[in-house]
Amino acid sequence: MLIYILKRLLIAVPLIFGVLTLTFFIIRLAPGDPAAFFIQPGISPNVAEQIRAQYGLNDPLPVQYFKWLANVLQGDFGRSFSRAQQPVFDVIAEALPITVIIAGLTLVANFTFGILIGIISAVRQNTFLDRFLTVTALFFYSMPEFWFALMMIILFALKFPVFPVSGLNEIGAESYGPIGFLLDRLWHLVLPVTVLSINGAAGIARYVRGSMLEVIRQDYIRTARAKGLPEHVVIFKHALRNALLPVITLMGSSLPFIFSGALFIEVIFAFPGMGRVTVEAIFARDYPLIIANTFISGSLIVLGNLFADVLYAVADPRIKL
Amino acid sequence: MIETCADRVSAAFRLAAALFIVLNMLAFSACSRNNGGNGKGAKSSAAMDSTLVIAMLGDADYLNPVIGATVTSSNIFGLIYPSLLQSEFDTTTGLMNYMALEKKLREVTPGQGKKAPKGALAKSWHMSDDHKSLTYILRNDAHWDDGKPVVSADFKFSYQLYGNPVIASARQQYLAELVGADKGRIDFDKAIETPNDTTLVFRFYKPVPEHLALFHTSLTPLPRHRWKDVKADEFRHSPLNLEPLGAGPYKLKNWQQQQEIVLVSNRKSNLPKPGTIPAISFKVVPDYTVRLTQLQTGAVDVVENIKPEDFTALLKANHQLEIKTVGLRVYDYVGWSNIDQDEYRKSGTCKPHPLFGSARVRLALTTAIDRQAIIDGYLKQYGVVCNNDISPSLKWAYNNRITPHAFDAEHASALLKVEGWLPGPDGILQKNGRRFSFVLYTNAGNARRNYASVIIQQNLRAIGIDCKLDVQESNVFFENLQARKLDAWMAGWSIGLEIDPLDVWGSDLKKSRFNFAGYRNPRIDELCELAKQKMDPVGAKPYWLEYQEILHRDQPITFLYWIKETQGFSKRIEGEDLNISGTFYNVDDWRLRPSANIAQ
Repeated sequence: MLIYILKRLLIAVPLIFGVLTLTFFIIRLAPGDPAAFFIQPGISPNVAEQIRAQYGLNDPLPVQYFKWLANVLQGDFGRSFSRAQQPVFDVIAEALPITVIIAGLTLVANFTFGILIGIISAVRQNTFLDRFLTVTALFFYSMPEFWFALMMIILFALKFPVFPVSGLNEIGAESYGPIGFLLDRLWHLVLPVTVLSINGAAGIARYVRGSMLEVIRQDYIRTARAKGLPEHVVIFKHALRNALLPVITLMGSSLPFIFSGALFIEVIFAFPGMGRVTVEAIFARDYPLIIANTFISGSLIVLGNLFADVLYAVADPRIKL
Repeated sequence: MIETCADRVSAAFRLAAALFIVLNMLAFSACSRNNGGNGKGAKSSAAMDSTLVIAMLGDADYLNPVIGATVTSSNIFGLIYPSLLQSEFDTTTGLMNYMALEKKLREVTPGQGKKAPKGALAKSWHMSDDHKSLTYILRNDAHWDDGKPVVSADFKFSYQLYGNPVIASARQQYLAELVGADKGRIDFDKAIETPNDTTLVFRFYKPVPEHLALFHTSLTPLPRHRWKDVKADEFRHSPLNLEPLGAGPYKLKNWQQQQEIVLVSNRKSNLPKPGTIPAISFKVVPDYTVRLTQLQTGAVDVVENIKPEDFTALLKANHQLEIKTVGLRVYDYVGWSNIDQDEYRKSGTCKPHPLFGSARVRLALTTAIDRQAIIDGYLKQYGVVCNNDISPSLKWAYNNRITPHAFDAEHASALLKVEGWLPGPDGILQKNGRRFSFVLYTNAGNARRNYASVIIQQNLRAIGIDCKLDVQESNVFFENLQARKLDAWMAGWSIGLEIDPLDVWGSDLKKSRFNFAGYRNPRIDELCELAKQKMDPVGAKPYWLEYQEILHRDQPITFLYWIKETQGFSKRIEGEDLNISGTFYNVDDWRLRPSANIAQ
C-alpha cells in the first residue's frame, strides 16, 4: 500500500503543476487588470503603470511565466497584490484553519446525520418515517445553499434572534474566558455548518439508504440472522460495514463540494476563510493569491481522493492497493 | 428484531440531536449572560455602550496615508493620523474651507463650521503674492503617540514618500504643481523647505490658486523617525504598516485582517482631543443582506448605502433606526459614443458615430427617457434629475437657470425624424438601411442601474429604438469601456469637491482617459483652462455656468439622476453631522447613548 500511496503522490505532482500552469494562463488571459483600481479621475495615470511594473505585469507573458516558474520551484508563490503585499502563504495561513474547521465540522455532520438517517430509512423501508425522511432529504438536497443560508438567517437571526449571523466571535468575546470564547465560536458556527451540512447529509442519506437496502437482501445477512445473531450486530457489523463502502468514496469526493460550498458561506457569514480569500482574489485579479489558492485547494482535493481510496482498502479487505 | 435495531438507531440519533441542542444552549447561555437583556442582539452590554460598530464591505487595504487607497482606509487612518489643516465643506456656498489654528481661508457662514480647527497642525499660513510659494507655521505642542514632536521635517519626508514612483502612492497627483514636476521629476530640495521645526515652505513651478495649494499641501504626514529606515521597495510590506504611529483622536487597538479593525480613543491626543466614543469597531461584513440584518438586530450601528427598497421593512422592524442622507456627489448616466469607436481604435481618426454622432439624436434620446419615472420608482425622494456633472451641492458654481429636458416621447420622435430616422417595416427606426438598434451595457450587481436600464429600454422601444441590455462583470465592463469597445453603456461617477472635468470631457482623447464617449468641444477645453487660471474659484463661476449650458445643449451623454447616498444609523448615535465630504467626517465627536435609554 505504501508503494501505491507513493506512486499516487508522485503522479499528483505533475497533475497539480499542470493545473497551476493552466490557471496562470487563464487568469492572465481573462479580461481585467490588477491595477484597474488606480485608473480613476484624480489619480495620476503613472500610478497604474508603477503598480504594474512592481507586479512585473509589463513583461511579455512567456517571460512572466518563466519568472513565476523559477520562483515557484523555490517555493516562493509571491506576494498578494490586493492584501497589503503579504506573502500569499501568510494570507492562506490565516484563512485555511477557518475553512478547515468549517469543512471538518461539515464533513462530520454530513456523514453522522447522513448515515443515521440512511440507516433508519433502510431499516424501516416503506414506513411513514422512511417516506417522511426521504421527502425531507430530497427537499433539502434540491435546495440552493445560498438561498437556504439567507432563509436560515431570516428565520434564526431576524424572526427568532437566537443565532448570530456574521463573524467568528462577538465583539469583546475575549473577555468571556477560554471556554466562553470557544462556546461563542461554536455558537457562531451553528448556522453556517447547518447550512453547509444539511444538503450533503441529505445526499449521503440517500446513498446509505440505497446501499443498505441492497446489502440487507444479501445471502450473508440472511445467514447472519439465521445464526441467531442479535439484529443490531447484523445491521451494524455485517450490513453497515458493507453498505458503507460506496459511501467512503464519497468522503474524498465530497471535499471539493464542501470547499466550494464554504466559498459563499464565508461570504454570507463574513468568515475570513479560504472561500472569501478566493472570491475576493478573483474579483481583484490578485494573480499570485489565485494561484496559491488553486495550489492549496488542488492539493487538498488530490489528497482527499487518495485518502478515500486508502480508506476503501482499509474497509474492504478484498481490495488490494 | 428490526424494530429493536431501528429503535436503537433512533435513540442514537436522538442522543446526537440532544447533545447538539445542549451544546447550543450552553453556548447561548454564555452569550446571553453578556447580553444586557435589552434584546439588541448579541453584543455584550458593557462593550456595546462604549463601542460604536460600523459595518464595512471590505477590509482596509493599508492604514498608512501614503498607500492606503480605499475610502474605508482613509476613513480609518484619518482618525489615527493628524492633519495639517482642518477642511470643511460649506453647505451654504458649496465651497471647501481650510482652517489652521489661527487662520481660515474663508469666513465661516453662520450655522456652518462645526469642526473645531483645534485639530490642525498648522497655526497659520502665508501664500506669496505670486501664488508660487506657500509657507506654513506649525504649532509646537503637537506630538506623535511616542512623545516625539511633530515637526516640519515629517512633512518633507512624507511628501518624498508620496512622490516616490517605487512606492506608487495613489495621491502623487497632489504633488503635480511642486517645483520640478513640470520636468517630470520633483526637486524636493527646492520644492519643500524646512528652515526650522515649525516652518514648512512649499514652492510651485506655476501660480496655484490658494484653495488648491492648501488642498494639495495638506496630505497626511507620517512620523519620519519611525519610517526613515524603511526602503522604498519594502514600504508596502513593512510590518510598520500594521502598527500605525499617529497623533489623532484614535489609535489602533486591534486589526484582525478581513474581520475587524478596532480603534480606541487616544487619551494623549490634543489634535483636537481624544475621541468621544471610547472604541470604534469597523467590522467587515461583505454580504449586503447580512449587513442589513446586523443593523436590524443592533449588532452594528452604521451601514452605508442602504437601498431605498429596503427602507420601509428596516424601519418597521426596528424603530431605533433611521436613514440619513449625504449628497449630492454621485450620478448615473447613459453614455453614448459620440465618435465611431471602431474607426478610432483602428486609425485614431474621429468620425461621428452612425447612431449617436449627432447632438440632436442624443437630445432625442435624453428626451425619450423618463428620468423622473426612474427616480419615482426607485430612488424616490433620494434622487434628483441630473443636468450635467456639476452637482447642485456645489452651489457657488451650479447653474440653476437650466431647466431639465422634460420627458416628451413625441418631441423625441420629431427630433429623430429631422435627423432622417423613420420607422421601418418592423416598427424600428431606420436611416439609410441601418436600424436604430444597439446594446446598452452595464456592470453586474447594481440593482439601481438594472431598474433604470429596464425603464430606458421600454422608453426607447416606445419611439421605435431597439435597445438590448447586457450586464457584464465589473472588471470586464470597465476594461471594455476603457478600450472603447462599447457604443452605449450605463455607469456612474462620483465627483470631486474641486471642479476639474478635463479628464472626462477634454478633446484630446489620449490625455482625457475618461472621455469614454469621445465628446470633443474646444470651448469646453477653453473654459476649463480659463477656470483653472483664476486664483479665486468664485471668479471662475461665469465659465462654469457656460460650461453647463454647453453640456446641456450638446448632451454628450444622458445625465440621469443625482443620488443621495443613504446610510442606516442606530438612533443611539448622537452628534453625527453627515457631510458631502464624508459620512464619518466628524466621527470623533459622535456620542453613544447608553443602551438602557434606547431599549424602550
